[in-house]
Amino acid sequence: MISTSTRTISPAESRTPPPPLLSIERVVKDYQTDGEVVRALNDVSIQIEPGKFVSLVGRSGCGKSTLLNLAGALDFPTNGHILLDGVATDSLDEKGLTQLRREKVGFIFQSFQLLHTLSAVENVELPLLLAGHRDPRPRAMERLTSVGLAELAHRMPHQLSGGQMQRVAIARALVHRPLIVLADEPTGNLDSSTGTSILELLRRLCTEQSTTILMATHSIESAAFVDFMVQMRDGCIEQIVQS
Amino acid sequence: MPYSLLFYRLIVRPVFRERARSLLVILAVALGVSIVLAIDLAGNAAVGSFRSSMESLTGDNDLEVTAAGGVPDKIVGQLATLTYPLRISPRIEDHATIAATGETVPLIGIDIIAEANNVSTQQIEPLNDEGLKHLTDPDAVFTTRAMGKSPGAKISLLINDQTHEYTVRGLVPGSSQFSGNIVVMDIDAAQQATDKKGRVDRILLKLPGQPGLDNWQQRLRSALPPGLALNPQGSQTAANRRMLAAFRGNLTILSYIALLVGAFLIYNTISVSVVRRRTDIGTVRALGASRNAVLIAFLAEAAVFGLLGAAIAIPLGRVLAIGAVRLLATTVDALYVSSRPGSLALSTGSILIAFVVGMGVAVVSALSPAREASMVPPTQAMGRGQREYAIRIDRKRDALIGLSLAFAGGLAALAPAIGGRPLFGYLSAILLIAASALSIPALVYWCTSVASSVLQKIMGVEAMLASRSLAASLRRTSVLVGALSTAIAMMTSVGIMVGSFRQTVISWMESELPADLYLRPAGDPSADRHPTISPAFTERIAKVPGVEGISRFRAYEIQYQGLPATLASADTNLPRHREPSSFLSGRPAADVLQQLTAGDAAIVSEPFTNKHHVKAGDIVTLPLGEKLVSFRIVDVFFDYGNERGFVILDRSTMLRYLPDPAASNLAVYLRPGADLEFTRELIKRAAVNSQVLIFSNRDLRREAIRIFDQTFAITYALEAIAVIVAVMGIGGALMSIVIDRRREFGLLRILGATTAQIRKLILIEAALIGILANIAGLALGFLLSLVLIFVINKQSFGWTIQFHWPVSVLLFALSVVYVATVLAGIYPARIAQRLNPIEVVHED
Repeated sequence: MISTSTRTISPAESRTPPPPLLSIERVVKDYQTDGEVVRALNDVSIQIEPGKFVSLVGRSGCGKSTLLNLAGALDFPTNGHILLDGVATDSLDEKGLTQLRREKVGFIFQSFQLLHTLSAVENVELPLLLAGHRDPRPRAMERLTSVGLAELAHRMPHQLSGGQMQRVAIARALVHRPLIVLADEPTGNLDSSTGTSILELLRRLCTEQSTTILMATHSIESAAFVDFMVQMRDGCIEQIVQS
Repeated sequence: MPYSLLFYRLIVRPVFRERARSLLVILAVALGVSIVLAIDLAGNAAVGSFRSSMESLTGDNDLEVTAAGGVPDKIVGQLATLTYPLRISPRIEDHATIAATGETVPLIGIDIIAEANNVSTQQIEPLNDEGLKHLTDPDAVFTTRAMGKSPGAKISLLINDQTHEYTVRGLVPGSSQFSGNIVVMDIDAAQQATDKKGRVDRILLKLPGQPGLDNWQQRLRSALPPGLALNPQGSQTAANRRMLAAFRGNLTILSYIALLVGAFLIYNTISVSVVRRRTDIGTVRALGASRNAVLIAFLAEAAVFGLLGAAIAIPLGRVLAIGAVRLLATTVDALYVSSRPGSLALSTGSILIAFVVGMGVAVVSALSPAREASMVPPTQAMGRGQREYAIRIDRKRDALIGLSLAFAGGLAALAPAIGGRPLFGYLSAILLIAASALSIPALVYWCTSVASSVLQKIMGVEAMLASRSLAASLRRTSVLVGALSTAIAMMTSVGIMVGSFRQTVISWMESELPADLYLRPAGDPSADRHPTISPAFTERIAKVPGVEGISRFRAYEIQYQGLPATLASADTNLPRHREPSSFLSGRPAADVLQQLTAGDAAIVSEPFTNKHHVKAGDIVTLPLGEKLVSFRIVDVFFDYGNERGFVILDRSTMLRYLPDPAASNLAVYLRPGADLEFTRELIKRAAVNSQVLIFSNRDLRREAIRIFDQTFAITYALEAIAVIVAVMGIGGALMSIVIDRRREFGLLRILGATTAQIRKLILIEAALIGILANIAGLALGFLLSLVLIFVINKQSFGWTIQFHWPVSVLLFALSVVYVATVLAGIYPARIAQRLNPIEVVHED
């Protein structure tokens, strides 16, 4: 078992590794459910270097999503520390966390989570608008082009297929040029062929744009696309496999 | 049992889970129902069980003889000489004001000795043997026990313009039919006190039984002069009841406005429940629930809201009725007839009405969304968002139907009254409300689409998201805007109507009150009471330096075609007299008044023409003294003084038939250059023992407007409550928006929105709902005000009201509603801020 020791994920362990983008140090996360304490993560440590595509695999309830939430500055650990781009998330207040997410994190969800009231391009623009950008359209179109959906930019979500919706969500996750993209089962709602194309897209974006991607998935096929696969079990890291 | 378990798990539990929202809906229903209940109870107490207080001590008589200006004494003798075994009870019926308290009470004069001998109508209960000796003394009075007077106690009474000292000699037995006090005296003393020498107000007749009332009426009719009216006893009460029925009907309709707004909100709540539980519905349907089971479940949910709302409404309505009764009584006194509200009785019937209305409205409002829930196939119910999309497609069709309904509403407004009731006017109002409700989705969609990019530029991405969200949830937004706009429309329309009426009355008074000073006997004014000023005092005023002339206005109560009306006369030959000068024909006043002095001519008020369907050139035949006299209507004048209707003769014509020279009111014209206050002081001094109130022209106008405002206070109160219901609904609905869109808010937080941005988004949504509702409400309110002013008011009351925008009142009211709507968004916004983004995003 290696989950309790800090592991640095880098392509060549012999080389001096760059400073980690995401550093998870001895993190414990407990939840209160009906008065009972449930431990979702138990003393997890992991470090991820910039530009890596890492998947978290394991059964339902093993702690993948919890780890993503903590990594994305959506939640605080019960114990331990999380450093994102050198910033300890537990040192930030609500405003600081929001700012951190705005600038450094992108999210992709299993159920796409597009706003049905906005068109594809408007969904992509959203993080920029929330951050106060005045002219987000060019960058949003650029992102949509990079995911192959420029022609469908003005369609509403209900006019898109599942794969197209996920591409829009990916474009949205990348539009503000985050340092890390957190993807929670991005292929979970898609058929296998569409799922594969989404994984290919993520792989390509990771390589071309040096964006770090941390992806929770059930998919064993994802192993072919990622740099590292972190296997989790019962809130602990069981094994890290380099692809 | 299994069904009740399912109902509990699938319907009741969610209701409890969203306690605040459910509570708001229940309170909205409760307020709506409580208003209906309060108006029903108050209406019943104030006018529903109206019985003239003059019916006190009338016993078990069958017929009554009355005449304009009183029945001559000799008629009593004539009736007594008939060979029929009749019991004849002449009465004086007037009012007196208790000097010490200012309370105006009925004053009844009866033949005390005769009545005391009559076992069946034994009226008076002497306080002691001393009382028996003084029964018929000119200063003997009998009071109700509630007045708390001891034997021999003195009491000062203001009768007409004179104050007299009386001694209490006995008690009037309490009556379950009347509340309040009365004063009784012997008929001779009463004739003297009221200056009705040689006349009585009513003769009651007890018939022997056979051969039936109609037959007796025919026999006696032939024995009486033609000017006297012979009717079943209490016909005056019946006439007043008929008159009050229309007033009560209008009030009842007004009270249903709050309920209508409540209905919108129930519709909205059930719609939201259906949308939110589509997945649950789909699952339950897939597991074997029938369409009917789903339908019944949602209807039952609504019924529970209605049931709980009604349960709260009953005590609330009872409390509200206390205030309503006071306001109603003021209105009835000012516009119709002296009345005393009865006690508020919360009967089983009232309670039943509350439950039927509450549950009925709830179930009917829920019918459409519940039916939709039952019609959705399980596969479709699993998908979100599709229904809203389908609704969006229908908005053009709905707008077209709305346009057609508006057109039909316009046509209905042109139709005449049915049986004196503006039924087509009401239909027109209902059609316009329905048209507005159907057009609102198009308005919301158009406005939010247009506004979206503009708002984004002005107020940021939150405004764009808010407007998009409103457009996307078209059904929910439309219902909210519909509910609030209906309440605003009602408020606006009544505001415009009352404001126009007020302005019309002010303009009317400019021309109708030309004199410098006005005098009337002291005591409370009422539409049907006409105490008089002694002619000697009038003569004294005429001699006061500075007085140029006096117009003597004399009024009598009459019945015309079974309805109460006021017959009056005025001096029309004064040089400066211009009263009344606003004629329907538009002819100069001088021309009309010249015709009035020539022969048997009359002018009638606009409400009179409306009630009796007469016009200039027609003949009205009036009972005057012992004669029936026909008068030609030379013109119709505008009048907003009361709703009963006036017939006005020249004073000289009136005196030919009713020779009593006393005046009910005096209008005093001063010589040019005469000092108003100085002359007023001189008149006061001339009054000596006459208890009169002297108003300057300005005082009188101010007093008239005060009474006007008091009269319409209840309509404002009803409108305010309708708006409160609507704003409460907005609060509840915004709460449901937060719950329904928590995933979206969570997502926005994850994507970088701050809590302040989420709050701003919700408050902008509330503000947009407020603006849209104000736009729609103002437009609908304007149309409804036209229907109210030119159709419902005209057909119900016959008043011509000039349209007028009460700009400041409307601006204030709309601003209050707008601010309240935005404030209603604060709590939901706080809830949204507290949502945990991780939890809500992963709910799906």
